[in-house]
Amino acid sequence: MKADGTPGGVLLLVFGAVTALLSLRMPVGTFRAAGTGLFPLCLGVLLMALASIFLLTRRAVAPPPAQRDAGSREAPGSHRQMLLFLGAIILATLLLDPLGYPLSSFGLLLALLRILGIKQWRRNLLIASVTTGVAYLVFVHWLKIPLPMGWLGR
Amino acid sequence: MLESLQYLIGGFSLATTTQNLAYCLIGAIVGTLIGVLPGLGPIAGIALLIPATFGLNPTSALIMLAGIYYGAMYGGSTTSILMNVPGETASVITCIDGYQMAQQGRAGPALAISAIGSFIGGTISILGLTFLAPPLAEAALAFGPAEFFSLMVFGFVVLSNVTGTSLLKALMMAVVGLILGTVGLDPVTGNERFTFGSTYLLGGVEFVAVAIGVFGIGEILVNAANPAELLERRVRVPRFRELYPSLQDLKRSMGSILRGTGVGFGVGLVPGPAPVIATYASYMVEKRLSKRPEEFGKGAIQGVAGPETANNSATQSAFIPLFVLGIPFGPVTAILLGALLIHGVTPGPLLIGEHPQLFWAVIASMYIGNFILLLLNLPFVPLFANILRAPKKILLPLVMFICITGMYSVNNSILDIWLMLGFGVLGYLMRRWAYEGAPLLLALVLGPKMEVAFRQSLMISHGDFGVFLRRPISLILLLATLVFLLIPVLRALFRPWRKRAVSEV
Repeated sequence: MKADGTPGGVLLLVFGAVTALLSLRMPVGTFRAAGTGLFPLCLGVLLMALASIFLLTRRAVAPPPAQRDAGSREAPGSHRQMLLFLGAIILATLLLDPLGYPLSSFGLLLALLRILGIKQWRRNLLIASVTTGVAYLVFVHWLKIPLPMGWLGR
Repeated sequence: MLESLQYLIGGFSLATTTQNLAYCLIGAIVGTLIGVLPGLGPIAGIALLIPATFGLNPTSALIMLAGIYYGAMYGGSTTSILMNVPGETASVITCIDGYQMAQQGRAGPALAISAIGSFIGGTISILGLTFLAPPLAEAALAFGPAEFFSLMVFGFVVLSNVTGTSLLKALMMAVVGLILGTVGLDPVTGNERFTFGSTYLLGGVEFVAVAIGVFGIGEILVNAANPAELLERRVRVPRFRELYPSLQDLKRSMGSILRGTGVGFGVGLVPGPAPVIATYASYMVEKRLSKRPEEFGKGAIQGVAGPETANNSATQSAFIPLFVLGIPFGPVTAILLGALLIHGVTPGPLLIGEHPQLFWAVIASMYIGNFILLLLNLPFVPLFANILRAPKKILLPLVMFICITGMYSVNNSILDIWLMLGFGVLGYLMRRWAYEGAPLLLALVLGPKMEVAFRQSLMISHGDFGVFLRRPISLILLLATLVFLLIPVLRALFRPWRKRAVSEV
């Protein structure tokens, strides 16, 4: 991936084109009596224009080094670790309804701590159970938020 | 003015009863907690707690609800500074420099200056609310749809200019935010747009999901890709005397705090999500006026002091149009209007005459509430700053867990979590490709209002775009926009010439 944002520019050009095309399927109207599709159509065309200028002038504009946004730095670490991290979150979200909030959160915390390299199971169990317990008390008991309880709620 | 002072003294005698002091304290504490928890913003917080005020008299109820509102504005900065997760929308801009300060072991000064700025901004703004309410509210009425549209265009261009390194990239992000803002029901005709038959999208793209996703999850994913030794590394632990701002910090921040107060107060009188716009406007002003603008984005204390002051100042002055005109200019004041109506009080020009006790007691309670918040927040600075002692490999899973729980609690919807994760991946890519998140978020909030202003202006002018140029305020704003658009172009044109001149010297 390049930090100059060229792949992003291409994606934005496509996004603008798709927006414009979908807007044309709606009633566009006139500027005097604008229809539902007019404003998004203008935005789609504007995004296409900006993305085109960006892609064309990319070489002329000084490349933005990762000087301001700390996040723009190239992560030297493993993408595998990040994908595992993301995968665990996706799995926990899928299991949130059937397993319930306490169990899925507990499992998620255990998995994330392990993926990031903490191998002491006792420590992980303690962190996961205390965090889940406190969150359960705050959100379910105190704020009365109806978090899914899954098997535990039956 | 003397009359206002007399009424204010009467208001203080009512606001300082044990019962009202207790409600003010409860409001401030609950508001701070709501602000700290990602996902639960002042809108959700006040909406959840309105039923709890049913048994109270209108004055106590409003004192508590107003306390929740400005308490949330105080608390919202905490997670922005410590975790790069905005507790509520007005804290998005605080992430930029606040989080960088925390990464450099300066979370304490960032949190403290944010509390001090909020106190000063809030208190001066209440003074304005006390004495200038009626005449200022009338001036705000001069803004029609054309002026609003031009103001928002100006805001986007200015914001794109001050955040990030590429104007084009920032402008593209703003347009993406505007497009996302069109998802849902057309605000004029009520037709569906980009919902693809989903009832979930009828209400539009959930702002909180985008905010937590782009800022919080994106940052977490970037960090999760780091190798073990980087995840083990802790943020430099500050010594006790480093937990609070130094004299130099205070000196550097004072101008920003005073300017932030002025910016926030002015923006609070204008329709729209005032605290959000105020933070962006203040950040822009600070970066422009700074002798070292290159420090912004890398942990400049002025980048925290100005916006945090401005959002609290705007929060207080936004009560002026609500009380004096009965028109809520933002979503939170709209909910407060609903709460007032439930309690049998109709805000408007007659409010001060018909319910003077309520009006002045609430104003007086705001002075007290601001002082309570300062007392509450400053002692907690070491506690919050010490959260960063934990290594990232423990912090990241905990923040992720808080994000998921907070996100679910907004609408009790798992779909919101999916949306947040989707925007998290987008936020990750945006960081890798050096695209800014702030313009996207501001555009998402202001998009629907901008569209309505655009369409109303053209409807009134029968499709004539000259309407934006014929109205003086609108014309000035558009000319200022043009200047901001030309600045980077001129800079790029003059750069080779300046380099040559320097090398010749």
